[in-house]
Amino acid sequence: MPRTFEARNRVAIAGYAQSPITRHAGCSLGALTLETARRAIGDAGLRVDEVDGFVTATLFPTSGAHALSDGTSLVSANWLAEHLGVNPRYAAGFQGMGQLPGAVAMAVNAVASGAADYVLVHRALHNPQGSYHGNPMIEARGDQQWTAPQGFFGPVAMIALAYNEYLQRFGAEREAMAVVVEEARKNGSRIPWSHWYEKPLTTEEYLGAPMINDPICRFDCDIPVDGVAAFVFTSAERARDLPHRPVYVSGFASGFPVRRRLPLHWPLDDIMEVGAETARRLWEATGIGPGDVDLPQVYDGFSPFVYLWMESLGFCPVGEAHRFVRDGGIDSDRAGALPVLSGGGALGNGRMHGVPQMLECYLQLSQRAGARQRADASVALACHSSPHLGGVVVYSAEP
Amino acid sequence: MTGITRPVPVPDEVSAPFWEAAGRHVLTLARCARCGAFTHPPDAVCRGCGSADPGFEFVEVDGAGTVRSWTVMRQSFLPGFDDDVPFVLVDVELAAAPGIRLIGRLLDGPGAPLRTGRSVTLAFEDLGPGLAVPAFELAPAGEG
Repeated sequence: MPRTFEARNRVAIAGYAQSPITRHAGCSLGALTLETARRAIGDAGLRVDEVDGFVTATLFPTSGAHALSDGTSLVSANWLAEHLGVNPRYAAGFQGMGQLPGAVAMAVNAVASGAADYVLVHRALHNPQGSYHGNPMIEARGDQQWTAPQGFFGPVAMIALAYNEYLQRFGAEREAMAVVVEEARKNGSRIPWSHWYEKPLTTEEYLGAPMINDPICRFDCDIPVDGVAAFVFTSAERARDLPHRPVYVSGFASGFPVRRRLPLHWPLDDIMEVGAETARRLWEATGIGPGDVDLPQVYDGFSPFVYLWMESLGFCPVGEAHRFVRDGGIDSDRAGALPVLSGGGALGNGRMHGVPQMLECYLQLSQRAGARQRADASVALACHSSPHLGGVVVYSAEP
Repeated sequence: MTGITRPVPVPDEVSAPFWEAAGRHVLTLARCARCGAFTHPPDAVCRGCGSADPGFEFVEVDGAGTVRSWTVMRQSFLPGFDDDVPFVLVDVELAAAPGIRLIGRLLDGPGAPLRTGRSVTLAFEDLGPGLAVPAFELAPAGEG
């Protein structure tokens, strides 16, 4: 018997807020989070003292040696509740990868179980001064001893190995990825809060950018930013009494590889094998298939994730995503295409770790996307991280 | 370790035999005393049989293998590599331990003709007295 999600469409998003996404906010991350949280609560038609649940994930996705400080480089659920003056019934942090889908799953479970009535999910991302990933390590201890002495370190080299494996195996070319990055930047250029607002990218700029770790160039990586987003979750019944059209959570899935690997070694087969299981769980939980999704928002913190998510979720055959995008398959302005980056993604907004994907699902399904509003989108999904470690959430405009 | 400006491995109570052997240019892998499976990097638990008391023994293995992927490092986020870039890192599956993959420098340099499936042999980068890290070299032509 399929494991259908028992709380399918019983919990909804009732409101949101998104801060400007900038290289450096000009105020502390805590202050930006507080302001964004208050706006989200107000947007949902609620008072701060009605919010009784707080969930986030605090991962600061740097390989650098930056200080971890609550309210400055990260903002925990407890920090936010405390600074809003709320003593919550439920406050929790998601510890795994796929931070935003994981936090959404915890919020949905909290509402569905009655642990809290109104749960605020926030994600606060910080861009520290200095090199984002640079690390002055000269002694490689623990896990790092197996790879740092060889010079293998940081997420760019991590994705470079997986992406090169993809290019070699499927005969793909970097010119196809230019289409992906341009699509993200085109859509991001239309979003006023994006770091890349009114700044699309040309093919020439993409192909002319210097490599960092071949075959990854600068524009294959999202840019580090300061930014915060917050969403209010409540039951479907309560959401229907609030000002905005509810967007329902139909289900979610995640996965994790069990094979032992070197730190940050993500072989293509690991990604695709576990990704296929994540997809199977998602369709089983939600009772739908890839053909039912009008608006899939795939993760793109590094551009190759676009191919890997599209293929893992069955939007195109394995090994075919590079051809699919070259044939105009993801052009959000083309009727009949699959608009997988219509919200601009991370490449078109900044390093917001799955927020642009989730926000696009919410804005389109609640009919709040303004000039970017798409017709006929009723089922959407938002991915984050890699298919073998991350997560994905399906949203519906209808209960 | 005066004079070494890039990260050096700091052996711990589990990994010490690995680095001691590497210093002699010998590659070893942790083998479970219960089931004989290799686990790399060594872990609290054997990934073959699940034993939480794997009694790992570091046994010498042949470091020959095939290239599964590679990257040219034109920028490093670690100290001490500025004079080395660009350098090549290869992702190698060991013939002697199928499924086990190591990442190391390809000493042939960034101009070397690479493709997936290319055969490589084990080499070492000497970082200091008794201190070496596993690396690779292209196997002579004709060996894949």
